[in-house]
Amino acid sequence: MKMSRLDTMPSPMAVSKKLIWITGVVAAMVVVLGPVYLLVKYSVSDIASINTGGKPIPFWPYHPTVEVYRYLFRDRQFYVVLGNSFFIALSTVICSLLLGVPASYVLARFRIPGRKIILLGIISVRLFPDIASVIPIVEFFIRIGAHQTYWGVILAHTLLALPYVIFIGIGAFESIPEDLEHQAWVMGANRFQTFIKVLFPIAVPGLAAAAIYTFLLSWDEFVFVYFLTFGRQDMFTLTLYLNGLKYAEPQNLMAATSVCLSIPVIIFSMFVQRYMVSGITTGSIK
Amino acid sequence: MNRIQGYVVKVWPLFPAILYLVSFQFIVLIYLLVLSLTAAGEPGSFPTVSTFSQLFGDRQFWQALNNTIVFTVIGTPLELLVGLFTALLLYRSFFGRNLIRSMFLIPLAIPALVTAMLIYILFDYPGGHVNHLLLGNYPILPRLINAPVSWRASQFTAMMLSLIGKVWRDMPISMLILLTGFNTIDSEILDAAKTMGATLRHRLFTIILPLIIPSISIVLLLRSVEMWKEFIFPFVLAGRFRFLGTLIDYYYNDIGNPHSAAAVALVMVVCIITTSMVLSKVVSLMKKVMLAV
Repeated sequence: MKMSRLDTMPSPMAVSKKLIWITGVVAAMVVVLGPVYLLVKYSVSDIASINTGGKPIPFWPYHPTVEVYRYLFRDRQFYVVLGNSFFIALSTVICSLLLGVPASYVLARFRIPGRKIILLGIISVRLFPDIASVIPIVEFFIRIGAHQTYWGVILAHTLLALPYVIFIGIGAFESIPEDLEHQAWVMGANRFQTFIKVLFPIAVPGLAAAAIYTFLLSWDEFVFVYFLTFGRQDMFTLTLYLNGLKYAEPQNLMAATSVCLSIPVIIFSMFVQRYMVSGITTGSIK
Repeated sequence: MNRIQGYVVKVWPLFPAILYLVSFQFIVLIYLLVLSLTAAGEPGSFPTVSTFSQLFGDRQFWQALNNTIVFTVIGTPLELLVGLFTALLLYRSFFGRNLIRSMFLIPLAIPALVTAMLIYILFDYPGGHVNHLLLGNYPILPRLINAPVSWRASQFTAMMLSLIGKVWRDMPISMLILLTGFNTIDSEILDAAKTMGATLRHRLFTIILPLIIPSISIVLLLRSVEMWKEFIFPFVLAGRFRFLGTLIDYYYNDIGNPHSAAAVALVMVVCIITTSMVLSKVVSLMKKVMLAV
């Protein structure tokens, strides 16, 4: 009895190591969560807590208020912007799923020749810098009349999202045993019926993750929507609206808009965390 | 014939997506080449290198290239170090590990633009939190500077802000890649080494590091690409101290010159490809050296 207690007693060395480790974790938490806290704090700050006239800015506002949020949600322009963001993001989801889901099914099920090369090609499309491909695409869209149009932005966002959808989709379909399909065929279902009635319902969680991921990608995309709607304030999405606030005081408005932009992303990211993690580790997400 | 037909029937759902990606990539490459090899204001001048010679004679271009190189050279190893640090914190299993890991993922869930805006606010001049903190106005820190710093007004500090934002937001990515690397290490090997008296440093250099070199190389490769093409942080935080990314925006939207913009984009792509090739060479060399030791 006594011996085993001695065994489990941590040595002084282990204690100091543990202390270092705990300090590290706490420090990392402060660095990660501190800025997020400050963002929320700014968004509920009254003006006196921001323009303090030389006094240090308090870590909690003197008189917390949701006044800026009220202002935002009374602003007609803000609703237009929200509408634009939703419309573009949802349309992007539909387009990229329509294109991506069938493709990922084929890539998951058939050992087609050159499959590896296709997958590599899809990843390399994603690694090509947005800021380098945006000029050609804008110039091309000017030529075909898609510049400063919603469908132009949707096409561009679909291009960005498609590789993710295909990769997440492949994962979703690969996890379904092939026997299931064979059984459906034996019972007389054709390929299309099998896909719609058997495979699709099982793959839905994975595909939902792809949809959410696409929505978020479009929701906080900046480069393409900035170049494609340059000079068209009525087409601005939430990111462009926030960018426009950069040179304007007060900062609580900036912070509140930032919070509105982030909240859907934070909430939905939790749902797709598992897929995000595996996407990052295979290099398809950045 | 029939076999090919049957095959096409089977795999046709793949075609629309591939066609979409391939044709866009084709358009991008063709336009980049044609635009950059045409002189501004002379539509029929393709092919000419005058846009490039003009670009290479422009001080702004060299400034932007220089800034981007510094950003990449400092930022890539920094992201690796931060990723290593956080991955090491989470490596051992402990109570609440998943919760803490989820929390460490939060920066990734915050849009880059929001992160940039947040840094814009925190490093505000003269009255941001950071200035007050460094002036010693909060009890937690002594006075470190005598006058508030205008962070976005000087090249050095503006680049520093972009770097802070970038590293903060992307930290979870390198952390996750490295964590998967750590998880491939067989804990039995580590225990065996420990029993045989290998010190922590020994275990780190002879077991852990060689085994996670693949993950390290992925981090270095992916992150350096990201550093080269960075746009949003310098766009918000470094303003007129341009990077290659923001120079493209300047040429295209401010000057209205798509040719120079495309030329800069092409330079960026070439830089990225070169860096990736050099890095993979370095990594394979590192592997050899590690194996030799």
